[in-house]
Order: sequence, then C-alpha cells, then structure tokens
Amino acid sequence: MSEYIVEMNHITKRFPGITANDDVTIKIRKGEIFALLGENGAGKSTLMSMLFGMYEPDEGEILIRGKKEHISSPSYAASLNIGMVHQHFKLVSNYTVTENIILGIPSKTRRFGFLPSVDLKAANQRVEEISRKYGLEVNPTSRIEELNVSVQQRVEILKMLYREAEILIFDEPTAVLTPQEIEFLLEIIRGLRESGKTIILITHKLEEIKKVADRCAILCRGKLIDVLDVASTSTKTMANLMVGREVSFVTEKQPPKFGDVILKVDHLTVKNQDNFPVVKDVSFSIRGGEIFAIAGVSGNGQVELADAIAGLLKAASGTIVLNGTDITYYSIRKRTLEGISYIPEDRQNYGLVMDFTLEDNLALRNYFKEPFSKKGILNREAISAYGTKLIEEYDVRSGQGNKTIVRSMSGGNQQKAIIAREIEQECPLAIFVQPTRGLDIGAIENIHKQMIAERDKGRAILLISLELDEIMNCADTIGVIYNGQIQKIAPAGELTASQVGEFMMGVKQDAK
Amino acid sequence: MQSKHTWTKTILKVMGDEKRQAVTIPLAAILLSLIFGAVVIGVLGGVNPLEAYINLLKGCGLLPKESYAGYKSILTDFASFLNAWTPMLLAALAVAVAMKAGLFNIGVSGQMLVGGFIASITVGYSSLPAPVAMPLVVAVGFLMGALTGGFIGWLKYRFNINEVVSSIMINYIAQYVIAFFINTFFVNPVTRQSQAVGKNARLTFMDTLVGNLKIDIPLGIILAIACVFILRFLLDRTCFGFEVKAVGASRSAARYAGIDVGKNMVMSMAISGALAGLAGVTYYLGYYGSIQPRVLPSTGFDSIAVALLANNNPVGIIFSSFLITVLSKGSTYMSSASGVESEIAAVITGIILLFSACGVYMRYLIKKMKDRISEEGRNA
Repeated sequence: MSEYIVEMNHITKRFPGITANDDVTIKIRKGEIFALLGENGAGKSTLMSMLFGMYEPDEGEILIRGKKEHISSPSYAASLNIGMVHQHFKLVSNYTVTENIILGIPSKTRRFGFLPSVDLKAANQRVEEISRKYGLEVNPTSRIEELNVSVQQRVEILKMLYREAEILIFDEPTAVLTPQEIEFLLEIIRGLRESGKTIILITHKLEEIKKVADRCAILCRGKLIDVLDVASTSTKTMANLMVGREVSFVTEKQPPKFGDVILKVDHLTVKNQDNFPVVKDVSFSIRGGEIFAIAGVSGNGQVELADAIAGLLKAASGTIVLNGTDITYYSIRKRTLEGISYIPEDRQNYGLVMDFTLEDNLALRNYFKEPFSKKGILNREAISAYGTKLIEEYDVRSGQGNKTIVRSMSGGNQQKAIIAREIEQECPLAIFVQPTRGLDIGAIENIHKQMIAERDKGRAILLISLELDEIMNCADTIGVIYNGQIQKIAPAGELTASQVGEFMMGVKQDAK
Repeated sequence: MQSKHTWTKTILKVMGDEKRQAVTIPLAAILLSLIFGAVVIGVLGGVNPLEAYINLLKGCGLLPKESYAGYKSILTDFASFLNAWTPMLLAALAVAVAMKAGLFNIGVSGQMLVGGFIASITVGYSSLPAPVAMPLVVAVGFLMGALTGGFIGWLKYRFNINEVVSSIMINYIAQYVIAFFINTFFVNPVTRQSQAVGKNARLTFMDTLVGNLKIDIPLGIILAIACVFILRFLLDRTCFGFEVKAVGASRSAARYAGIDVGKNMVMSMAISGALAGLAGVTYYLGYYGSIQPRVLPSTGFDSIAVALLANNNPVGIIFSSFLITVLSKGSTYMSSASGVESEIAAVITGIILLFSACGVYMRYLIKKMKDRISEEGRNA
C-alpha cells in the first residue's frame, strides 16, 4: 500500500475560455488534514469536484489507495469512501435529520418479502451513535428547517460518516459560521482526524489553516504554487504566496486629477434580513476623478455597502451624502436621478430583466424620461434608436440586435449591456461591483479602460472587487473591508498587493 | 428511420421559430383537442363527430340551422353568442393583466359578482333614463371591481398576503354576503333570483325588433373589444405597462431599476379587478338580467384558461375566448340536434385547456427535436 491515500497527478481541467486546473499534482497522506488555499476562482473547488466525481479531468490521473480510479460520479466516489460537504448544503428542509441522511441509500430490507422498506428506528439509532462518537451534538429526529446553519453543516458531516466515508472534503466550511461555531467545527475536524479519517479542507482563511491543518497546498489561477508544511510556515508567507504574484497585465492610466468630494459616507451601518449588522460604522469619501476601490474577501459586507449606497438596502444608521445632498432616505429612483449609476454584482437577478428585449433593458433606467416617453406614453422609436446606438458604441453582440431577448445572450454581452446602460447615465457617481467577474481577458481590459475613461471625465467611481489584480490595476485609493469594517484606507501607491491581502484577511490591523 | 425524420422535419417546419410558436402552439393544442374530442364524441356518444362540431357552430349563429322559430334567424343566434362572449373576453383580459405583473387573479368571479351586484342595486333598480343609467352601470362595475382587485393587491403589498389566498377568500365573502342581501332584500319569490334590473340599465337591448326579427343586441361587446385595444396600448406603449411587465418578469430587477414594485402590483390588480367588474356588469346586467344567489359565475374561472391559451396576449384573447364561448354556448344546440350530451362540450373545453397548459412542454419537445436533428446532421 502506498504512503498516500489520494494522489492526483498532473490534473488539467479546462472549461470554455478558462483553464481551471493546470497540471496540478497533490498527494494526500492517510489521516492528515490537508488544506487547499487560494483566492476565488483559483481552482480549488474544481479540483475537489473531480475527486468527488462531479467532473472528470481532461488530463492526468487519480489514484485512491494506490489504485488508479476513474471517478465518474459522486456515487462512485462514495463507494470509494469519499464524502464532500458542499458550500451550499444539499438537504431537504422539511425532512428530519435521519431522513436526510438515509435519503438515496437503497433500502435492503423488504416488507412482506418484496416491498422496499426503511427501518427508521434503527437508522435513528445509528445516527445518534455516530453523532455521539464524534461529538456532533445532532438530534436525529429534528427537522432541518428547525436547525441553524451550523447544525445543518453537522448533518452534512453525519451524512458522510453514515456512508462510512474515510476521505472527507470540506468546501469552505466556515464561510457561513460565526467565530464560536468555527471553533466548534475545527474541534470536530480534529476529532475526525484522531479517529483516522483523512480530511481535505478548501478555504481561503489563513487562521483556520494555521489552527488545524498539517499541510497546505496553495493554488493560484489554476496552478499549484507550493505545498507547505503548516507548522513551519508563517501566515504571512502563505498570504504572500496566495496573493503576491506578478500582475498579468497592467492597464495604462494617467495620474488622477481629483476634484471635489462627490460621495461622502459617514458612520454607515447596514443590517441584513436577520437584523445582523453586515456593514459596521463605515466612513469614507470619494472625489471626482477618483477610483476608490474596496478590496475584501467575499461576504465581508462589500455588496451590502454598495446596495445601501444605491438604495436597495436601508441604512440602519449613518448618512450618505451625494454632491452635498443627504440621500440617506431617498428612494432608489430618486438616487438614480440625483446621479448614481450602479453595476450590480448579480447581473441576472438585478442588472437585467432577462425576459425583456435588449433595447428595453438598455432603457431600463430612463424609459420614463424624454425622449423615451412623454406623459407616460412610450416612444418606441426613440427606445430602439437609443438601443441601436448603445449596441454599436459598446459592441454588444447578440443574435437579433435590439430585439434579442437578453436571456439568450452570453454573460459577457449581458455585462456589456449593463455597463453601456449605466455609463450612459452620465452620473457623477458610478458604482461597479465585480464588473469583470466571469469575463475573458479582452473584455476585462475593455471594462477597465471604460472605467478609467469615466474617471478622467471627472466622475467618482466606487469599485468593489474580489480580484486583487483588478484593484491594484485600477484604483487610485484603496479601502480594505473585513468583517463589515473598513480596515485601512490609503492611496494606491502606498500599499502593496500583499499588504492589501493581509488586511483583507484580517491578519494585519492598522493601529487606530 | 428515414420516414420518422421526415415527420419530425415537417413538424418543425410547421411550428416555425420561437416567435411563430406563440401562435402555432395554441393552434396545435386546439387541433389536437378537437381530434381527441372527436374520438370522445364518436366513442361515447356514438355520433358523427363532424356533425356534432357543425352543430356547435350552428348553435352559435356561425352556421345556419335548418329551420328557425318565429322572429328568429342566424342573426339572433349570433347576437346571443356575442352576448355570452362579452363577459368571457373581459374576464380573460382581467386575468391577463394581473398575470403580466406576475400575479394570479383567481378572484375574477368574486370581482364580477361585486361589480354586478353593486351596479344592480344602485343603478339597476333605479328609474334613471337609459342614457344616464347605462354609462353609470359601466362606471359602477369598473369602480367596484377596481376597489376589490386593488384591495387584494394592497394586501399583498402591505402584508405580503398571497393574492391567490386572499382572492379565494374574497370570493367566498362576496358570494355569501351578496347572497344574504339578495335573499333578504332583492329576491324575486318566483325565480328565487334577484329582481330583474330595469330595461333602462340593461347593457343588452332585449328583444329588439329589427325587421321581422327579435334580437338581443349586446352593447357590451363594443366595450370589450375596445378594452382589448386599450389594454394592448397600455401594456405595450406606456411607462405603466413597461413597469408592470418589468415587475412581472423580475421583481428584483424592477426594484433595482427604481420601479415602485408595490405600487405596480396594486395598480395592476386594480386594473384587473376593474376589467372583472366590467365582465360582471356585462354578465349580470347584460347577458342575464339578474343574479342567482350563492353561485359564482364559472366564467371567472374559465377565463384563467382562456388567458393562458392566448399566452396573456390581449389580441390573442379575442380568439381564445371566442373559441371557448363557441364550445359552451353551442353545446346546448349540439346536444339537442345531435343527441350528444352537452357536457361533452365541457369535456372538449377541458381537453383544450389541458393541451394549452402543455404549451411549455410542447416548446421543449420542439426544441429537443431541433437539437437532435442538428446533432445528427453534424455527426453525418
């Protein structure tokens, strides 16, 4: 038997337009906690999805317990004792814990000799036993909808253990948990290792790796950067390896010419639906001719911040002042008219009405103004003409031009349409959230150029991005957000990418 | 194998591209159900289905009958058909306008009843001169329907009460409260219905002598057809329509665009209710002259299917409501002339609606056929 329980050799996986994994080799020992570290889109999840049988590699081989395996489906992976806890739980909310756990396991018992039947009592008992053995503290008969997220996650763990998984994959398990819950989970993970399980942890949080992992592989843009021994490596080195890399391309731009303050956010706090503050006491201001970029790991309050400025979320406290006008309590429409254009993160649910035509979507923000309508009557000719003009200027490609239903367009062209519409508003403040997500290099460069051109026209730009490259490339001023709070605001020249990375991960805190 | 391919290719050619499918799929649904209905008539009724269908048309004044009673002709039948068609057309428009905003107005029946009842007791029993009474009936029906529908929209907007639940409940409330008032104050002891409304307020000129014929001339149909085009204009050519459709297609995107989602939901429900109210007055003060207590008009429910069959397109609704009314109106004559149970017509209506509800599935099937052919073409 080989020293390694899992070997993934020279794995390459391509998706249209992107190489998610490029010649990645990792070897995992039995009974260790192996972490996969990398930014969003570095290829961690893709790599593990191949181990779990959701995708098959284009090149390379996978060896489980020294034997070459062709893992073609999750159920085959399960038969090799591989289990995975996904980022989004896969549970039926009105079933009990046990019902969820045994769901999908073919029944072996037969009532009257032919009817498949389920012995719920025995199953409950076994779930109870496993739960006690690993200290999971889950009641087998509770319904999923009654449980909070952290217990639901433990149900997912139980599900793997019930199926006798030996190799457990956790995909960003702490993203949804509170600090105390994280502690508890890490405790469970350590317990699992002690009972001989092999654990693969996908994460971008350094402190967790430091706490539990034995070894750590760092991925970046689909490539394996290094495999490190966690005990002998500092978090700082890991952070540097994860984000401190050569920038792939640099957008040319002139030095900024700052004008007057256009947006001033003062002590802004925003709460989510559960009345939990997600943006905490944030203050900053943006001048005309300035690109103010907010860097941060996903889910640290940056989207809520943008939504609050655009009016989609209410401010719990604090003020938002645009060009000297307090707009904190303005409606969305009123803010648009005051001069905010907004490119939202969620294109398909917010940015576009997917079943509308392209021209209607391009007029979505100004159909009620002249010349597009007069006294409530639409001028279809004006809307069409405007659509045609924008489609040409911004090179939006679609099957049937103006009349194309947006749903049938490619993601890149959908984004181009949103950007065209929002830039054409000619608003003093433009908010760009993740403007280049999922786009190819050419499109990214184009969008960056447009953003910088807008800046040079004297507009204030708020850029929110998860891509550090994008922020280092475009920003004049960088603000780093962590856990809903702004950690640091500094001119772009004064921060290196790795410094920003450290602030992003809450490793470094500025003396206040 | 080869012949099977020719078949699929022919089907694809006939059904056309996605735009054309908006018309061809409902037509295919109707055709399929007529064929299916023919089998039912043939097997269950033991009658020549074609003859039964022709009798349906004869019953609606679309084809001449063999003989007519005194003062009657194909024209009287057709006028009576128009009279029955009017409320169906309006009710289907009511369903469609709510559907455009992503709301399901299942309470059209209740709104019809409210509009019809209030118009009856306020104007129907008055002695106002006809030129005043008739527009007033229309106005009262419109307003009462709008209030009832708008109330449902407001409940949804203010308290997030599902419009299906609240409109069903309002249906019951309207049904029984109005029944109480009719039975207590307005009942006609002979017919057990409400007192007939006066001629001055009736939207149909009953038994009007034209030449040597006595015709019921429905004025409501003009109103209904006008509503089709007003509604089409409203939906396609106004900011209001743009907003309603945006709300219906994606509430989150509409909100992002600065559209007041709540206002639009209330408004579209109010318009839906207003159209239902118009359907109510053309039904209770037009086609009929009185209200049967404790009964909701089935038109309100059939109209959901009529709107569905037309894909909520106002102009399409002219055709779909026409068809469904032919089936229901013509069934009486069909049953007496060809001896087929009149319920068979209801069965065919049901089948048509069933097939039309499968429109999305048909679209999917066509797409799959297309994919398979293009794939095999590539492989070859």
